[in-house]
Amino acid sequence: MILLTDRPVQLETPRQYFLSTFTPNDAFFVRWHLQTIPNAVDLKVWRLRVEGNVERPLALSFPDLATRFKSVSVAAVNQCSGNSRSRLQPRVAGGQWGNGAMGNADWTGVKLREILDAAVVKSGSVQVQFEGLDKGLGPKDYGSNRFMKSLDLSDPVLDQCLVAYSMNGEALPMLNGFPARLIVPGYFATYYVKSLSWIRVLDAPDDNFWMKAAYRIPDTPRGTTTPEDMKSGKVTTVPIARMPVRSFLISPDGSMKIPAGFPLRLRGIAFSGYGGIKKVEVSADNGANWSDAHLGQDAGEYSFRTWSLDWTPKSAGRYPLTVRATDAKGNMQPDEGVWNPGGYLWNRIERQEIVVGDAS
Amino acid sequence: MRTRKWYFTAVAALSILAARVLYADFRAGYYTPAGPETIHQTLPGAVSTDSNYDAGQYPIYYPELAPGDGKNDVENNCELCHSPRYITMQPPLSAQAWSDEVNKMRKTFGASIPDDTAQRIIQYLGTHYTPETRKR
Repeated sequence: MILLTDRPVQLETPRQYFLSTFTPNDAFFVRWHLQTIPNAVDLKVWRLRVEGNVERPLALSFPDLATRFKSVSVAAVNQCSGNSRSRLQPRVAGGQWGNGAMGNADWTGVKLREILDAAVVKSGSVQVQFEGLDKGLGPKDYGSNRFMKSLDLSDPVLDQCLVAYSMNGEALPMLNGFPARLIVPGYFATYYVKSLSWIRVLDAPDDNFWMKAAYRIPDTPRGTTTPEDMKSGKVTTVPIARMPVRSFLISPDGSMKIPAGFPLRLRGIAFSGYGGIKKVEVSADNGANWSDAHLGQDAGEYSFRTWSLDWTPKSAGRYPLTVRATDAKGNMQPDEGVWNPGGYLWNRIERQEIVVGDAS
Repeated sequence: MRTRKWYFTAVAALSILAARVLYADFRAGYYTPAGPETIHQTLPGAVSTDSNYDAGQYPIYYPELAPGDGKNDVENNCELCHSPRYITMQPPLSAQAWSDEVNKMRKTFGASIPDDTAQRIIQYLGTHYTPETRKR
């Protein structure tokens, strides 16, 4: 893994792990916000507490999750809001991720709705808040003390949410949220609260730092703005939510010169938070001509979709391979970047130069 | 030089120590220094068959900060809540951007750093970590 920081931990998944639909647990990117993150959890005493504006508060044990509720699985991409932040111009502060702050896993757990129904949400409730075992050293009521995220009770995504206790058929690694993690298919990873231990039903909108000040995007097309407009104070913001469509060429990665006439198989992945992937196209001439790639295994609309395309460069030269995806809603990746102060929502078409040499 | 380095390591270790949390149901905030050349995965704790699931301590890879006035203040303040890698992983930022960052830590995140110390930290970061001055 690529080390960004050690305390709190941020680790990036190296490029080669994205050749497959599912990202291995031990190479899955890691991002914690606060320095005191769980090293160990005792399941004898650990409980997932459902509290707040509910008729019947719950304290669920790890076995309760598996036995009291129906088990459900979903393949979902977990992508950091700031994935590819290092691409923004002008550069912005924050974790300087390349493209590896993402991963796709087959999550198994319990429908959040079932848990909420068991606790019986009281009328007048507006949001549901999630908190894990991580804790910070900052003063009380500051974002540096607690990390909490909330979703509107009216948000249809709630019906898709899972409290997962299994990741790719294994228990969650401690760094990826053991013993349980919130899964919000289609949404950015900021909502995938790790070591989830409190679900709180709120009767007023959550105004904690991580909702009110952080992880917000400009309320503009594609969430893009300029440093000048930000400074002028005329930009309004909204909480980040769904992931725009993206695609990646994973192999070849440009690290080797290719002999002319050598038959290559271009391989990569694509995904979107707005429904499945409809089309992936590749261009070897900077977007003048596009070829449809073959789409691989369909593991569901929130999953990575692998793609491949056979391509033989006929003559020596530098080929700027570009790849773009279109999702089920018809959104196609643009060839323009975005800029916002958080460094979120990057989804520009990727380019990979391949150098082809004479073969004789 | 040796003593200074030892002193900073001790300060860092103490501040981390102070942050450890031992609750009934979980244990958090444990880190252990690791050599700069070794990229260990998480060090496994002694694996037991009871209900405790322990990933061991998480490794710390201490980066080399640029020598200069104010380094001391960075080590004694910023490192309480986060690794100095949060400085070294940033792109080169303007002196103004560093000033904004330090003030964000104080105002937004509530870091209790006195004015004069904060000024020295801003001065240090704006001297060594800008597009013009950043060494690597």
